[in-house]
Amino acid sequence: MNPYIMALLLFGLGLGTTITFASSHWLLAWMGLEINTLAIIPLMAQHHHPRAVEATTKYFLTQATAAAMLLFASTTNAWLTGEWDIQQMSHPLPTTMITLALALKIGLAPMHSWMPEVLQGLDLTTGLILSTWQKLAPFALFLQIHPNNSTILITLGLASTLVGGWGGLNQTQLRKILAYSSIAHLGWMTLVLQFAPSLTLLTLLTYFVMTFSAFLVFKLNKATTVNSLAISWAKTPILTSLAPLILLSLGGLPPLTGFLPKWLILQELTKQGLPLLATFAALTALLSLYFYLRLSYAMTLTMFPNNLAGSAPWRFHSPQLTLPLAVSTATAILTLPLAPAAMALFAP
Amino acid sequence: MTFIMYLVLFSFVLGLVAVASNPSPYFAALGLVVVAGMGCGVLVGHGGPFLSLVLFLIYLGGMLVVFAYSAALAAEPYPETWGSRPVVTYMVVYLAGVVLVSALFWGGWYESSWGSADELGEFSMFRGDMAGVALMYSAGGWMLVISAWVLLLTLFVVLELTRGLSRGALRAV
Repeated sequence: MNPYIMALLLFGLGLGTTITFASSHWLLAWMGLEINTLAIIPLMAQHHHPRAVEATTKYFLTQATAAAMLLFASTTNAWLTGEWDIQQMSHPLPTTMITLALALKIGLAPMHSWMPEVLQGLDLTTGLILSTWQKLAPFALFLQIHPNNSTILITLGLASTLVGGWGGLNQTQLRKILAYSSIAHLGWMTLVLQFAPSLTLLTLLTYFVMTFSAFLVFKLNKATTVNSLAISWAKTPILTSLAPLILLSLGGLPPLTGFLPKWLILQELTKQGLPLLATFAALTALLSLYFYLRLSYAMTLTMFPNNLAGSAPWRFHSPQLTLPLAVSTATAILTLPLAPAAMALFAP
Repeated sequence: MTFIMYLVLFSFVLGLVAVASNPSPYFAALGLVVVAGMGCGVLVGHGGPFLSLVLFLIYLGGMLVVFAYSAALAAEPYPETWGSRPVVTYMVVYLAGVVLVSALFWGGWYESSWGSADELGEFSMFRGDMAGVALMYSAGGWMLVISAWVLLLTLFVVLELTRGLSRGALRAV
């Protein structure tokens, strides 16, 4: 792709998210979401092979449906209450419609099925943009509306954590596993959204750091299946030994960063008098933990049979930039002791 | 005037039925054109001539392309339409649905959802829709800039997607 066009498209990505962040009016927020979708589409289809174009088409159709539904709901809101402001939603009908439209946009559980299919057709860098940057703008809107029906958010959240764990169980494709992991994490964020929005933000940021590390590890190893991950240990041994920690941090095991959001969310749910919900959510996290554990097992904890040339570390250093990976890996593994600071920053 | 509005609204619903029930793209696109035209008529009747003009020019401009494209792409020798039996079945079912829904919401929909923009048009200096558009672009001038920028972005997006048709996966059937 021409670098000028690439710059234009990346600028469009930034512009869309910024407009949605800055707007208090539904029309401008919708415009920002549409700019975001438009700008990522050529990036997704840039290699012009059939899988990528198919994924692009699926993504476009889903996002266009969600955006049209959002526009329709905000017009209905203006019609019923005479109010275009995002934070002044009062009527239950448009609020519910917008909640569902945003859930479709970020891929929450009953509307999640586009997410693994789309991510599977993309290369890892574009997939990283799709599962981090593209979630920001819808989540900014999600945090601003005040849903007056708590059942919807809880159902969406619990179904997402369940489907995110369940769907990833039998996968051999890394990108699909990452997509299901994304669905599960978004479910946790939705679960706590109405009780403590600051925790949602904290979960989103920790998820970004962890999934950034996971995507970059797979990209550095050029691995998109569990098989190729299993024989890639000789390439960068230190990274291979760190990768299980990143994955288990995604799964939410205690001494790692990923435990922080799950801990705080479970505590908040218990404080709100919902111990049953907290128990179910924790049990669904076990399903996710299983496939993270399986990835760690295949990548690091066993040595798969391979020929002699494949199992010796003879390769040259990779020309890829590894500093971002180093920083994000350290953050994804080691920031649990900063929990009080994170609490003070996000939930004052 | 009431008779004309009845006619326009009836054709509007009929056009929607044509879109929904037709298996062949010819007549579905034709139904869409009818719906757009009749929608513009409704807008004119209720105090939005400028919006109606904008919708007519832009939407029908796009619709013409869609019509030509679908007519060229799906050229069937014997396109099915309202004459054939399954299409008639669909039509009857859809019309029954329309009648049912309107019977359910009859009271609630009549009053609140049928306001017109210029009920006191004699007392105001501007028409409601033109003043609204002017207000939107004077209070939010940056929106005009952003809209123009998005149009440019869309041009590059389309060019980038359709570039290199011979080697790409996105091509005409």
